[in-house]
Amino acid sequence: MSAVAIADVRAKAQQARAELEPPAWIAPGENQPKQDDGTINKSLLDYIWKNTDEGWLKMLGLTSAGVGLLTVAIIITVWKGIGMWGNNIPVGWGWGITNFVWWIGIGHAGTLISAILLLFQQKWRTSINRFAEAMTLFAVVCAGLFPILHTGRPWLAIYWLFPYPSTMWIWPNFKSPLMWDVFAVSTYLTTSLLFWFLGLIPDLASLRDASVGRTRRMVYGFLALGWTGSARAWNHYKIAYLLLAGIATPLVLSVHTIVSFDFAVSVMPGWHTTIFPPYFVAGAVFSGFAMVCTLMLPARKILKIEHVITARHIELMCKVMLLTGLIVTYGYAMEQFASFYSANPYEYFAFYNRRAGPMAPFWYLMMFCNCVVPNLFWTKWGRTNLWAVWVASIFINIGMWCERFVIFVISLHRDFLPSSWAAFHPTIIDISLFVGTICLFLTLMLLFVRFLPAVAVSEIKELRLEMEHAAHAAHEAAAKNLGAGAGGVPAAAHAAPISGKEA
Amino acid sequence: MATLHSLPVFDEKGKTNQRPLSVLWRSLEERIRGGADRQAVAAEFALGAAELPEANNGTSRRSFVQLMGASAALAGLAACVRKPREQILGYTRQPEGVVPGKALHYSTASFLGGRATGLIATSYEGRPTKLDGNPAHPASLGGTGALDQGSLLQLYDPQRASVVKSRGQERAYHTFLVEQLARANQHAQNGGETLRFLMEPSSSPLLASLRERLRAQFPKAKFVSYTSLANEGWQEASEAAFGAQAETRLDLRDADVIASLDFDFLAGLPGTLAHQRAYADRRDPKAGEMNRLYVIEPGMSPTGGMADHRLAARPSEMIAIAQGLLGRVARITKSNDLARFANLNPALSAQQSRFLDALATDLVRSAGKSIVAVGERQPASVHLAAIAINSALGNSGKTVRYARSLLHDPEDGPKALAALAAEIKAGKVDTLFVTAHNPVYGAPADLEFGKLLKSVPNSVYLGYYEDETAAQTNWFVPLAHDLESWGDGLAPDGTVTFQQPLIAPLFNGVTAAELLASLLGEADKGSYGLLRAAWDARNKALGQGDLVSSANWEKWIADGFAANTAHADDVVPNWATLEKGIPSGAPAAVSGIEGYFATDYKVWDGRFGNNVWLQELPDPITKLTWENAALLSPATAKRLNVAQNDVVEIKAGTRSVRGTVFIQPGQSPETVQLALGYGRASAGEQIASGKGFNAGELRTTSTFWSAGSVEVSRVAGESNTLAQTQEHHNMDEGIHRAIALQATKEEVESNKLEEVQDNRGPQTSMYEPVKYEGFKWAMSIDLSRCTGCSACMTACQAENNIPVVGKEQVIKSREMHWLRLDRYYMGSEDAPEMITQPVMCQQCENAPCEYVCPVNATVHTDEGLNDMVYNRCVGTRYCSNNCPYKVRRFNFFSYTSDYSDVEKMVMNPDVTVRARGVMEKCTYCVQRIERVRIETRVAGTEIKDGDIHTACQDACPSQAIVFGSLHDPESAVSKLTRNTRRYDLLHDIGTRPRTVYLARVKNPNKELA
Repeated sequence: MSAVAIADVRAKAQQARAELEPPAWIAPGENQPKQDDGTINKSLLDYIWKNTDEGWLKMLGLTSAGVGLLTVAIIITVWKGIGMWGNNIPVGWGWGITNFVWWIGIGHAGTLISAILLLFQQKWRTSINRFAEAMTLFAVVCAGLFPILHTGRPWLAIYWLFPYPSTMWIWPNFKSPLMWDVFAVSTYLTTSLLFWFLGLIPDLASLRDASVGRTRRMVYGFLALGWTGSARAWNHYKIAYLLLAGIATPLVLSVHTIVSFDFAVSVMPGWHTTIFPPYFVAGAVFSGFAMVCTLMLPARKILKIEHVITARHIELMCKVMLLTGLIVTYGYAMEQFASFYSANPYEYFAFYNRRAGPMAPFWYLMMFCNCVVPNLFWTKWGRTNLWAVWVASIFINIGMWCERFVIFVISLHRDFLPSSWAAFHPTIIDISLFVGTICLFLTLMLLFVRFLPAVAVSEIKELRLEMEHAAHAAHEAAAKNLGAGAGGVPAAAHAAPISGKEA
Repeated sequence: MATLHSLPVFDEKGKTNQRPLSVLWRSLEERIRGGADRQAVAAEFALGAAELPEANNGTSRRSFVQLMGASAALAGLAACVRKPREQILGYTRQPEGVVPGKALHYSTASFLGGRATGLIATSYEGRPTKLDGNPAHPASLGGTGALDQGSLLQLYDPQRASVVKSRGQERAYHTFLVEQLARANQHAQNGGETLRFLMEPSSSPLLASLRERLRAQFPKAKFVSYTSLANEGWQEASEAAFGAQAETRLDLRDADVIASLDFDFLAGLPGTLAHQRAYADRRDPKAGEMNRLYVIEPGMSPTGGMADHRLAARPSEMIAIAQGLLGRVARITKSNDLARFANLNPALSAQQSRFLDALATDLVRSAGKSIVAVGERQPASVHLAAIAINSALGNSGKTVRYARSLLHDPEDGPKALAALAAEIKAGKVDTLFVTAHNPVYGAPADLEFGKLLKSVPNSVYLGYYEDETAAQTNWFVPLAHDLESWGDGLAPDGTVTFQQPLIAPLFNGVTAAELLASLLGEADKGSYGLLRAAWDARNKALGQGDLVSSANWEKWIADGFAANTAHADDVVPNWATLEKGIPSGAPAAVSGIEGYFATDYKVWDGRFGNNVWLQELPDPITKLTWENAALLSPATAKRLNVAQNDVVEIKAGTRSVRGTVFIQPGQSPETVQLALGYGRASAGEQIASGKGFNAGELRTTSTFWSAGSVEVSRVAGESNTLAQTQEHHNMDEGIHRAIALQATKEEVESNKLEEVQDNRGPQTSMYEPVKYEGFKWAMSIDLSRCTGCSACMTACQAENNIPVVGKEQVIKSREMHWLRLDRYYMGSEDAPEMITQPVMCQQCENAPCEYVCPVNATVHTDEGLNDMVYNRCVGTRYCSNNCPYKVRRFNFFSYTSDYSDVEKMVMNPDVTVRARGVMEKCTYCVQRIERVRIETRVAGTEIKDGDIHTACQDACPSQAIVFGSLHDPESAVSKLTRNTRRYDLLHDIGTRPRTVYLARVKNPNKELA
């Protein structure tokens, strides 16, 4: 075979590979055509050492003001009573529980990305898991406020719902889904926190090693828990991480399943339905990914980490949103069908009232945001145009909030006996609490991206090495195969070698 | 540290030395050696060897731990919340029968409208907390109206007037008495020529005797009675028909056909409780012949809702309708007396003619067993037509009785007041004593009574509040509450009824009798002395000797009334004068929108305006709270292009008021109904003031009940959100719902009750049925008996310490009533049927609220009650969300923390006052169950059926509610659960409620089908 022919074949193979392979998980930077550990460290950790940015300060000021608003709203609620909210009889649960479920749902993306995708060895999770996990954690913190605040006597609710051994021998009611919620949400919070923190340890050690000044070294050193980066430490670390992923995986399904039981277990038309667990979980993932997109698209730009969170990541998240959006749409359709097919008049009316009742605009908004908007992601353009994705993700967030409002409030406000029907109007406190938790969430996110690496740096470095090895292996194999007269891309190229790494 | 030594520490000292060490030895060597070794051996195992030697610092481990424990405990004590100091004072002399915590019951009475209703008051340590009907009293038969129930709260109103005042200055009561006595002496000189009394309508024998004595002293003095709810048309008709002031006494027990011409006798208003009971007793086809009720009325009323046939008619059409009815009856019966009316045939609409044809036939068919009853709004000619029909059909003497009025001043309407006003204007009145309720507010607007009153040189007002009238009089004297007064009065059938106080006047109030006696120099006798003296005198006059020696007095007071004192002085119509009163020609038609006034079910003539229980009580029809509204029919509202909550200006001639539109199905076309008693401007009544609008501003002496043609126009840009507890949702909105069921008499008799049968019976369950031991409490509610009068709601509020929440909270749908009355319309908007259904906690055996509570705060008892544990409730409201009946109520705010000391006195000590953030609901009056249980246990007897009554059951004038145990197959409630009309509310859900409903029965006339 002539050298020309070989070169030709090689060029063709390269072209074929370029066509077959999607863009890299780690893109070259502006001034560095090829990333190495140094450039990754620099691009992903260095911004922590930089002086505080004025824009960041402004945003923090704004969101902190919102936290102040939240504090005031909480004080008013606890001081004066739940009457400060719009809740009434029949609508015992208004914005409070709507917000709770919305936030818990948003928290689902983190665990899904970090745990399930890890177990499925999805490499693309690496660049986004840290950010999503932090988001999960903060979302659960926001969510956790509402079940406590929405009770009439939060000072008692905060511990009476836990099965502590009281001298009176009074136990909580284990038949109540709210009781299950306590376990589900607290387990979820604990696991998410551990998972997130465990993942942070190697990066904290990196920060410790690179930090200038005693205070920084002390703080990061304390948080790094004496991480040395030895092979032994990595071995334990990996096992622990995998175990936590194993524990967290069922939680992705269980938390929202149990949250959905709050409604499915009741006798209320519009609530009492077996479709809720899968439909709630899908909705949660849907909203979680939407929130990741909403926050990550600006964050990757501002933090200049577009080389590790690439367009390919965004596109894949869009696909997840499309899938879960379709599941949710199916859920809506089945609910409506079941209400008609069940021949249960109360059930029928509950869904008729969603479509045609006084609060129907929320239902139509929900249908538009959750069923129409995600269809944008069928198109390549829709998945890759960042503005389109960003706007769509915000619509989905709104749509999922509406979904919860529709399920909880619209079902409650007109139930069995028309005599007890009433309208629901939120108060300024309701709005302040919701806006306040959004601000609390953003404040925590801002603090997070300022003082901690927003991307799992050690994992990126690992991924880079894996990819480099894979590329080398592929080259070699291709060369060998060419020598043996065979063409194409070897499957073995995808097998990732296991390697010990530096911290 | 020497003192520490002296502390006796458990188990420490002495024990080690209990046995001399020398006794213990392990070997001979050891024993021989003794000394230090022996000590060391002992120390190895000795008790307390682990302790620090005492000699060191005097503190052992044990004593250290004990002391630390004690210090920690004491430190903890110091940190405890300091409880407010409370004084406990024992009785130095125990009053007879008073056991702290145990209720005593006394009979007493209320005199609304001048007629007595016998009551039983419950009192705890001298503090009345509940009023119920006196079952033996003919006007109550055990039932009460919402007003009687609510009057209890008024006793503890902190805004009550408490001081005698002269032109705004506080004065001693003694000063007042001295001045009045001096004035009396002056008046005595000219026979009281310029002395006038404006009295509350009354039938009291005590007041009668005082008036007699005053008349003897001041022969030229005049007594005038006035009420703003006077039955003016009747007074005129009575004079025309009987030549005397008579009254109508109905006996509905034997009435087969009842025609009500705008007579609202099923609303629990004063004087109608016995009618309600008699009516209800005839509404079960299986228990006897059913009666049939026809109602013709301008607006929707509870009576109209219960009617078998209802016709909405404009007030101006009522005369023609009465003429038409009279003419038809005359033609059918061919009675001689009625022959003169046979030509009456006014022009009527086809619908009206058809209705009257059927009604007239039915009335005649049941001659002697029918009734035509007329309400207070109707003019004299309608009353006369009814008198004619009742007399001619032989009803009078059987179902209807016309007898001389029992009131002192039967003419208590605008004419009497106008005569007094004319005298005042002419300067003929020097001294005016006012005991009538707030005439400045209640008088027709054209009299400008406030101004006139101010012009009287000496005026005295005995009032419960420093109200509009108090502001215009020289002297103001606080009135005692009914429960603070001795008094008497006559029941509608003439039975002498006694009122005894339950408590000494809280705010120095005096009674009307005391005020009158002050002119006789007998004010110091007190209300008891006066009553006693009057009855002593009367007894002597009757030849029964001294009351003290006769056993009568004690018995009368204990019973609350004197048995067998019902009497009637019958009158017969004079047909000639009667005929003149009925116009033969067509009455003048009223063009445009016709305005008319209505008695309010809650504030009545305005006197209950400051009563928060009644203000927040939903109106039986509109379900409005806290104010009145301008009621328009849907079609009229549409034509006027106004919507609910719009503010409109209602103009009658030169007078006008602004009110809020309320769209009322069943309202007659082109009319506006205006409830009286609101729009108060009383300085002393902060709650009553500013609520709603004063429809009375449109009232004149000539347009007392009907304002005639009015203009209704929208006030641009103004609206007022009305606080309704229930909106106008149709029962069948969106889907058909089996909620409040009704059937016809034929369907019940032939047992064709598919829908009822579908909603009862056993249900499949995966679980073993629970075996309830002891008792199985249950309740039955007969919709055939329930008229929706709402007495039960107020009774429940009083019994269970239910807070009121205010208009804003009601608008937010946060009212706290444990028991609500659901009102549904059926059929068209213009001529709907109405049904009322009381709904409280259904005490489900399979309760959806119980399993969802995360803290076990609502649990099931072994007798099947669904209990609330307030202390345990954290307020998740999950139970309420999951309650299909939505009967749970939540304390969104701290509704009970701002009660004043006086207000706290109304609380039932057997029921917890709930705190903020806690869920509450109907308990089947569990405190009453437990009280009876304790009593029977102490007495060593068993609880029998009928021993336990819930508060709603006690109050219900028509006995629609029955409570008892299902384990006793012979109990009243067990029998009712086996009734063919029994059904369960929302049976499909499988909650297995313990409260069952009995479908309403209607007895329609086939001729109107």
